[in-house]
Amino acid sequence: MENKTKEKDILLSLQNIKKYFPVQKSLIDQIFSKKIEYIQAVDDVTIHIRRGEAFGLAGESGSGKTTIGMCAIGLEPLTEGNAIFDGLDLTTQSHEELRKLRKRMQVIFQDPMASLNPRMSLGSAVMQGLKIHYPEKVAEHRDMVITMFEKVGLTPALFYYNKYPHQISGGQRQRVVIARALITHPDLVLADEPVAMADVSVRSLLLDLMVKLKKEFDLTYLFITHDLATAKYICDRIGILYLGKLAEVSTVKEVYQYPMHPYTKALLAAVPVPNPKKRRTEQMPKGEIPNPINPPSGCRFHPRCPIARPDCAEIEPKLRELRPGHFVACRYADV
Amino acid sequence: MSDKKELVSESVPEWQLELDRVGFLRRILLARKWYKGDWWFVLISGIMLLFIITVGIFPQWFAPHDPREEVGPSLLAPGEETPSFIVLAGSDSDAIKFADIAGRKNKVGYIMGSQATQAMRDTLDRLNTQAEEEGIDIIYQPRGGRYETIDEGLEDLTNGKLDGFIASEEELNVAETDFSNFVRIDELRSSKADSFILGTNQIGQDILSRIIWGTRIALIVGLSSALVSFIVGVPLGLFSGFIGGPVDRILTLFMDSLYTFPGLILAISIAAVLGAGIGNIIVAIAVLYVPTYFRIVRGQTLTVKNELYVKAAHSLGARPLKILTKYIFPNVLPSVVIIFSVNVADAILTEAGLSFIGLGLPPDTPDWGIDLARGQDYLRRAWWLITFPGAMVSCVTLAFSMLGESLSEILNPRLSEL
Amino acid sequence: MDRDKLVAVKDLSVTYQTRIGPVSAVDHVSFDIYKGEILGLVGESGCGKSTLGKALLRMIDPPGEISNGEIVFEDKDIMQYDDKQMRDFRGRKASMIFQDPMTSLNPVQRVDQHLIETIQVHEKDVDNASALERAGEMIRKLGIGEDRMISYPHQLSGGMRQRVMTGIGLILSANLIIADEATTSLDVIVEAKLADQLRDIRDEFDISLLMITHNIALVAEMADRIAVMYAGHMVEIGDIYDVFEEPLHPYTAGLLGSVPNIQFDASEELYKMPGEPPNLTRPPEGCRFHPRCPKAMPICSRIEPAMTEVEPKRFIHCWLYQDHPEKMLRKG
Repeated sequence: MENKTKEKDILLSLQNIKKYFPVQKSLIDQIFSKKIEYIQAVDDVTIHIRRGEAFGLAGESGSGKTTIGMCAIGLEPLTEGNAIFDGLDLTTQSHEELRKLRKRMQVIFQDPMASLNPRMSLGSAVMQGLKIHYPEKVAEHRDMVITMFEKVGLTPALFYYNKYPHQISGGQRQRVVIARALITHPDLVLADEPVAMADVSVRSLLLDLMVKLKKEFDLTYLFITHDLATAKYICDRIGILYLGKLAEVSTVKEVYQYPMHPYTKALLAAVPVPNPKKRRTEQMPKGEIPNPINPPSGCRFHPRCPIARPDCAEIEPKLRELRPGHFVACRYADV
Repeated sequence: MSDKKELVSESVPEWQLELDRVGFLRRILLARKWYKGDWWFVLISGIMLLFIITVGIFPQWFAPHDPREEVGPSLLAPGEETPSFIVLAGSDSDAIKFADIAGRKNKVGYIMGSQATQAMRDTLDRLNTQAEEEGIDIIYQPRGGRYETIDEGLEDLTNGKLDGFIASEEELNVAETDFSNFVRIDELRSSKADSFILGTNQIGQDILSRIIWGTRIALIVGLSSALVSFIVGVPLGLFSGFIGGPVDRILTLFMDSLYTFPGLILAISIAAVLGAGIGNIIVAIAVLYVPTYFRIVRGQTLTVKNELYVKAAHSLGARPLKILTKYIFPNVLPSVVIIFSVNVADAILTEAGLSFIGLGLPPDTPDWGIDLARGQDYLRRAWWLITFPGAMVSCVTLAFSMLGESLSEILNPRLSEL
Repeated sequence: MDRDKLVAVKDLSVTYQTRIGPVSAVDHVSFDIYKGEILGLVGESGCGKSTLGKALLRMIDPPGEISNGEIVFEDKDIMQYDDKQMRDFRGRKASMIFQDPMTSLNPVQRVDQHLIETIQVHEKDVDNASALERAGEMIRKLGIGEDRMISYPHQLSGGMRQRVMTGIGLILSANLIIADEATTSLDVIVEAKLADQLRDIRDEFDISLLMITHNIALVAEMADRIAVMYAGHMVEIGDIYDVFEEPLHPYTAGLLGSVPNIQFDASEELYKMPGEPPNLTRPPEGCRFHPRCPKAMPICSRIEPAMTEVEPKRFIHCWLYQDHPEKMLRKG
């Protein structure tokens, strides 16, 4: 598996995590059929995130990326497996202990309008983290918030301090969300599609900001995205997910330039390139993403895979290190 | 510290800066352009309610008379002049007002069955009360002389058996006696005023004063019961929606059953059980509205609970109580404002209904419902008995409803405040 | 009319009456769509591209209205059409595919019913059997399995639904398909497949496709020409290779520079555009982009430029490419 020589370097370790959601059944089904079906959102995933890196989790719908993110910071309980944050097993923490840990693990959500309380002023919203986790420092709260506003580029800070979410633009809202997440100087920031809803020209500003803040605050990012092009600009390492399992993990340069898993190859080829001279010539895999309630046996990608062999339907591939630091879950992928 | 001096900045769009520059008053005026019809509604209903509340707090400033006092003849039409009675004295008498011939030793005549006696009695009461206040030691109590016809009385007046004679204008007109020997020295009225703007009821109470004092009761009952409903219903709804599970189901079941009762009937039942008194009425009406607050707040809580910003609060590490009070409650509140307004209006109506039936307030309280009840028999003869109390109920109800509806339009944070 | 032109839009304006005043969502826009071409219409939120798409089918609802201009479709100005002619026009000559197929499809109608209804509304004398046959043919062409004909929308995946939408758009052999963010809600592989399909359809049927999207990379993959909109104005339009090679309008240059590129050959830095899109109730004087433009001149803040044809079929809305006596004036 992953090289765990420098244990101290690992901030977050997800070990063989599984997350299954029971499917809601109608009353009749509940009476007549005994079997409970599960959506196998995340199935036996192991990831080690190093301190100070930006780790990307990429995939399409049903890949389980958002679920992994929620489980990683303890907002969702795991069905199986462990989430170890800085040596602490999140599954064994009490409610109160977990709540206190929040100041070290924060979230930036996708939809800035929906994630801000419409009735709370921006200054107040950003201050929440301080009020909850550092109530004794009340006198400094306001100044800390103002400093944070300036750091995220919302200047003049006093102008924005008393405004409400509906009075500012989408890009500015996302900055507020970022400010709110960073106010307690967390170790880990889960960014769930943070720029997906922003305009193209605003995205570059936000990404730039996130990179800058990562250096300044010494952050570790878990970056969830479906947009591989954007991930390239902020992530150091990236994991490609398909239907709840990891298909490929390595640095961005490695995965993007030497993709080995057939799914990764297809995914990268599918991403449109903003250069008409470099139009895609590759074929896309047939079929669609299957239902996560009944995933295909063996390798989950086998029904659509161009290089599938008979045993792919029987044996589940494990992650193999095919190049240094580059792991692929495919029995027949080659360098 | 770059303060409000000149907030020009690269990053802030021009229109945001401008909105910030205008003062509060200007913003209200700008709001008129923004909200148009609703703005006017709020303004008009606001002014109406302000007036109504002032009247409710200080009825004594506005009411010309005591509402319980018999201040005039019964069933006097609005604006109609109260009957007056002429006091005649002999032309040789040196009396110049009624008080002069109203001493113990005097005798004053009147026609049998005339209303003049009432007028005389009232005037005497007033004179006596006044004398008592001033400390003058006089008692006004003339002897009365009854006569069958006016002419007989006037004959006695001529020959000095009477010091004065009291009769109405109509009564005098049928007299055949020559009036040259007599002098009109005074005019008596049985009531305190010449006329009453809104008339009097069957007891002789001034309707205007009654409805003004009725405002106070209506507002007290209306606002109090709405407040009680709010204080009970809203937290229950928040709690129930937030916590979910079996507790929620039980509470909902209970509230829904309460809700299915027709309002007035429920109020009647509770009032009948609790008995009379203003406190009990308030409670009875309050119970009526608790399920409404509960339902609306619970529904809103369920919606808001699943919003992303609540999840975000959770991920920040906020405690459940804080999430409930700072995140859920403020976003649920706008939907409750309109209910409160309508609640007050409805409470006033219900209270009127209860009093109408006879449950609740003591019978002589100046209350619109009571007046409506008492006036219903007189619909044909004296329409003013129920018209004015009824109009008051409608007006106040309308004002509250208007305010609530238009305020709720404005209170929702519009997504595009340009 | 040029025999190659399908649609000629001249001086089109769409205005919305809001509480605070009129908003010019589309301001005096002129452009052409040629037969058999894929034209990509790009811009950020609020630029007016969706509004423009809807305007082409005259589907602007109050409080908005087309306040100016003409839309000439195959030599006829559809602004002059009455309601009946417009109903005939929509579907038969031009049709639209929307972003969210779940809400644009009727949840209680099966796939085949959708298609049959579309046919029969426009061609009243077609009987059920022949309509069904045509529907079946379309289904096959679009790669939806025949067993899906009797499915309801909720039983289909996002990609499938979008294909059904496409089918509805195509079944009456329209000449113009307007795709308004048609692939935005889809996964990237599904999007790629749908894009391929649209291109195949264009090749086979020689129809024109107007692709309205904020996904500039997708336009680079698919389109023949690209049109860029900003704050209600069309600022640049031209051949896709030319525009990407050398964007002439400063906004286009900035926009293209901020698009992330998954490949490693491009520059590693993304361009960061300063400022924010303007408030359309009080747009800036002159050129609407001038407050954010690195090359703004004094004239830009006073007079609005006109659309200038700098090369054949390459139009720019910018003072850099237009002459004006005041241009040389200094500020003040």
